[in-house]
Amino acid sequence: MAQVAVGGVEQQREVRPARPETSGRTTLRRHSAFQRRRDRRGLWFVLPFIVVFVMFLVVPLIYAVYTSFFTTRLIGGTVFSGFANYTEALTSGAFWTGMGRTILFAAIQVPIMIIIAAFFAAMFDLGVSRFGGFFRTVFFLPFAVPAVVATSMWGSMLQTQVGVFPKIFADLGLPNPNFFGPGHLLGVIVLIAIWEWTGLTIIILYTALRSVPREVVESAVVDGAKLSRIVTRIKLPIIRPAIILVVIINVIGALQLFTEPYLLAPIAPNVSSNYTPTLYMYNEAFSAQFYNFAAAIAVVLALVIIIISGVFLFSQRRKGAVI
Amino acid sequence: MSTAVLNRPVTARPSRRASRRANDAVPLRLYGVRRRTVNIVTLLCALFAVFTLIPIWWIFVSSTKTVPNLNSTFGFWFAGPFVLWDNLKDVFSNDESGSFLQWMENTAIYAAAGAVGATVLSAMAGYGFARFNFRGRTALFLFIMAALLIPIAAFAVPLYLVYAKVHLDSTAPGIFIPFMVSPVSVYLMRVYAGGSVPQEMLDAARIDGAGEARIFLRVAVPLMVPALVTVFMLNFVAAWNNYFLPFIVNNSARLYTLTQGLAIWMNHTNIAGSTEDFTVLTITAGMVTITPLILMFLVLQRYWRSGLLLGGMTG
Repeated sequence: MAQVAVGGVEQQREVRPARPETSGRTTLRRHSAFQRRRDRRGLWFVLPFIVVFVMFLVVPLIYAVYTSFFTTRLIGGTVFSGFANYTEALTSGAFWTGMGRTILFAAIQVPIMIIIAAFFAAMFDLGVSRFGGFFRTVFFLPFAVPAVVATSMWGSMLQTQVGVFPKIFADLGLPNPNFFGPGHLLGVIVLIAIWEWTGLTIIILYTALRSVPREVVESAVVDGAKLSRIVTRIKLPIIRPAIILVVIINVIGALQLFTEPYLLAPIAPNVSSNYTPTLYMYNEAFSAQFYNFAAAIAVVLALVIIIISGVFLFSQRRKGAVI
Repeated sequence: MSTAVLNRPVTARPSRRASRRANDAVPLRLYGVRRRTVNIVTLLCALFAVFTLIPIWWIFVSSTKTVPNLNSTFGFWFAGPFVLWDNLKDVFSNDESGSFLQWMENTAIYAAAGAVGATVLSAMAGYGFARFNFRGRTALFLFIMAALLIPIAAFAVPLYLVYAKVHLDSTAPGIFIPFMVSPVSVYLMRVYAGGSVPQEMLDAARIDGAGEARIFLRVAVPLMVPALVTVFMLNFVAAWNNYFLPFIVNNSARLYTLTQGLAIWMNHTNIAGSTEDFTVLTITAGMVTITPLILMFLVLQRYWRSGLLLGGMTG
């Protein structure tokens, strides 16, 4: 009981900084033994998550790396084969064709979506649009639609000859485009992805914009800044960390493209078994039963994504962004 | 709020409308936004709203049509006969690859279990990270956050391989436990607990002799309710809509999720010479799948629209 009182007094004397969770290191020495023991109890709160996290995420990843160094042969069973799976994945071309395609996909889809989302988020934040609340609700609805249903809807609407859009094209006397031909397919997937994810991005950016202190805009107004300048030179730079976060999340999502091309394959004949790296990995694992090779693809895909996100984060950090 | 506004030189006399508005945006006229700009931006919003609503409108209209009418009538408007009820009956009575009702029940169980698990685990972890300064806290937190960079695609197949060894493949827990691992939720909970659970309150409870578990349940959790609702909602939607993970780790028709079943029906529609027409069936089933979540979004609007929690993402 006495210990509790001592700890309490000590706690009161301590000046809490604005962000208490960062107070750690520097004040640690002044903490009493009691407080250190109490802080250790925080581990019990973190532990349940860590256990599930390790069992269902870390262990599979370690197992993927381990198993990727083996090869299963019809004769001789599973044998250690060193980097053979990696050499095959990295030199076969099948992996890089898909990787190149998903990088192209990310390079088109993510910027278009971020620009659209940033525009609408800024307009809602400054209250430029009428009925802002209504539009925010509408824009967010696709988040409720699974990718499977979204792909099914857009696939049916765009289907050659029978879909509603090709028919409208025909009625207008326009040439009937084959939306699922080699030239347009990636464009259709970009469209579906933009439809699915723009709403969530708008909400994240809008919330970030709302947390910018009102005084910032006020002083800009005093200086005579116009709307476009307030948005592009003041507000968006302030929420740069949120924009970077959204870019990273969407790039990671785009590079593991699977559901849309997989489900469109029956109506889009040129979705090959290695159309994207994830599709390639899936086919190697479950169609060809090359599990070790599929694990190697998974590791390479993860490394490529980590490198791309890392390079992006690093380039942004040098420009002075704080994450 | 209005007194604070009055004290500021810029908005010395805010119009009544501006001060009454719930959000405290700076009145538009102050930075020279013309009526025309407002009209153009509203028009752009309307156009994007049309783009957003087109497929949703189409799926509701199409689910009321007969198979021949689906392709022979204008897609964005109704055409007699109105057969929504027959289509719904077909969806719920079809027993191809298990039944739709079974998929719905499975999905509801997985999504609820996954979201409750994710909310409980991340609330505890977020609170632990925010309010206890244990050794190795920063390293542990960064370790968890690093997992954000790992694509689901990269660990789904390995997860299946591990499952095959411990016989968790094609089991319900094998499908929903991975939904409980949500590093983003831990991050959001940490930010929220850091901002909304005052250290002084925890210390006061400790002086009164309360145990840590009791303090968490009685003091911290009630203060974190908005975050709990938001995290639950985000994880519920993510689990409900997920396709890839169940697709990889489960191939038992009895345990199919809605997305798995729908994908199979969708493939039937495209098989040449298929005797039964799955087009309208798939469309109606898709409509039934998205309706509960759209309703949930409309009901819980105030939680996601004001972004009580997502604001923490700005860091």
